[in-house]
Amino acid sequence: MSAGETAAIEARDLTKHFKDVKAVQGLNMKVQKGEIFGFLGPNGAGKTTTIKMIMGLVRPTQGEVLVKGDQVGTNTVEIRQNIGFLPERISFYENLTPVQTLNFFCELKGEDKSCIDALIEEVGLKEAANRKMGTFSKGMVQLVGVAQAMIGDPSIYILDEPMGGLDARWVKVVREKIKLLKDKGATIIFSSHILSEVENICDRVAIIDKGELVAEDTITNISKLLDIRPQLVIMIPGLDGEVPGVVKTIDGIERVGVGGDELVITCDSSLRARVISVLEEDGLKIEDIRTIEPSLEDAFVRLVSERGGG
Amino acid sequence: MGFDINKMLVISKKEFADNIRNRWIIILTVIFVSLTIAASIVAGGGEIGSMDDTVAGLLSIASLLIPIIGIMLGYGTISGEANSGALAVVLSYPVKRAEVLFGKFLGLGSVLSLSVLLGFGLSGVVIAATTDAQWGGYLVFIGLSILLGLVFLSLSLCCSAILKRRVASLGAGIVVFFFGMIVGLVFLGYLQATGGDTMDLIMGNFENIPDWFWFFASLSPMDGYQTASTQAFDISEVFGYRMDLPEFLNMPNIVISQLLWLFIPLILAYLFFERRDI
Repeated sequence: MSAGETAAIEARDLTKHFKDVKAVQGLNMKVQKGEIFGFLGPNGAGKTTTIKMIMGLVRPTQGEVLVKGDQVGTNTVEIRQNIGFLPERISFYENLTPVQTLNFFCELKGEDKSCIDALIEEVGLKEAANRKMGTFSKGMVQLVGVAQAMIGDPSIYILDEPMGGLDARWVKVVREKIKLLKDKGATIIFSSHILSEVENICDRVAIIDKGELVAEDTITNISKLLDIRPQLVIMIPGLDGEVPGVVKTIDGIERVGVGGDELVITCDSSLRARVISVLEEDGLKIEDIRTIEPSLEDAFVRLVSERGGG
Repeated sequence: MGFDINKMLVISKKEFADNIRNRWIIILTVIFVSLTIAASIVAGGGEIGSMDDTVAGLLSIASLLIPIIGIMLGYGTISGEANSGALAVVLSYPVKRAEVLFGKFLGLGSVLSLSVLLGFGLSGVVIAATTDAQWGGYLVFIGLSILLGLVFLSLSLCCSAILKRRVASLGAGIVVFFFGMIVGLVFLGYLQATGGDTMDLIMGNFENIPDWFWFFASLSPMDGYQTASTQAFDISEVFGYRMDLPEFLNMPNIVISQLLWLFIPLILAYLFFERRDI
């Protein structure tokens, strides 16, 4: 182990099996103090199970989680004093109002209740502050969830899909809020199955798939790993879903796809001119050529689906 | 480090505040209050009536509704909140699982007690006006009724802690309810099958009934409750049936049996809840 300071959160050989389902398998990762750490993976990859093990809600089959060097268990009260948590699936008490609910959580954390009005205002629920939560929409419940996570200004935030269920305006607010918390020195882990949600604000990202860690690195390095290549889209009328046989004769083409009359070719840009000339020599009538730059998102989706295929 | 009573009280306060506004609990309490008042008036019959008949009426209403209220309060409190995500938030706070579980029992138990007190309090006013009331017995009866409710709350809380899904624990709650209703019949069937005669029971020839039958009957929370309640009023005859029971079927023994029914499921619930993945 390196001689640096203790990681804010560290997973060691973290494993959880539910009967015969391997939800998380031998996960090792470290989140440093003060960083925003994105936890990425498709639905069902094991993100929520991992986060629940960090919170002591789920007991690992094997391995352990350390928060600031202390091992997490189901009753480790001291560790949780300093964590704000937003679960993926959240709900509160139908018959209580946001004010009553936040009062309860303040009491549970032993914090001063004077922060409640400000928290409610901050998440934009002032009008609904004294309405029973049984009538709330999913997004409103999520906002109460965001508010409760901030009680007592914790130094670590663990947010499971914090933007799920929120409309675009609130996604932006939550994103700004996360940046603000980082500026105050907080450590933030947040999970998402959508890369674009994490790519602009995270210092580092871990990608998890089928319970295993695929990569843990900075966004820049992850982009390299995901191998983002532009694609050549060639429009040939009459193609009708068939890849012309002549394409297979060209060396260096990585992938070929076809959709209707469009041929989609992934290859190095130096090869493009040759691809086009070979097609024309074969007597095919090219009507249009364009290139598309795949987003990190596309690459991420591809990476995950390729793993699924293998 | 240990068990923090204040945290437990925070949990029970929240459970009380939430469930006292629960639509179903309000409806059941209104039904309970109306029926107990009605029973008191009918038994009173407009003139000074028999306290024994009033008790018999109240007893059959309470035996039905109090267990239902207990089960309604308990069945979803762990499995339902685990499914919805509410429990994950609570358990992410600096609170121990034991504090959450016992806080829930205390808060839900308070809602149940309030509901019972409302029902028997208002009917008590009617009784005072219409019968030659026995207040000592009436208070013991209320205590026994709350205890019965807590037994069913504890049983359904235990199902809720063990079972994964809310629907499953509702099903288990219904099974617990019918178990409470029919367990006496099971013993009765066994009595008949082993050469006993249920007619002896109906005709009040209790000396022909073996002691083991009474022993098991007192172990059933519902039958124990009814027996103890009639004893609270010194009733030896209900609607013409004689109540002449063996020596060991006395109030203290029955209360001990009820307390076991309360604490054993509660401890089981705790053991399962400690280990449960939320």
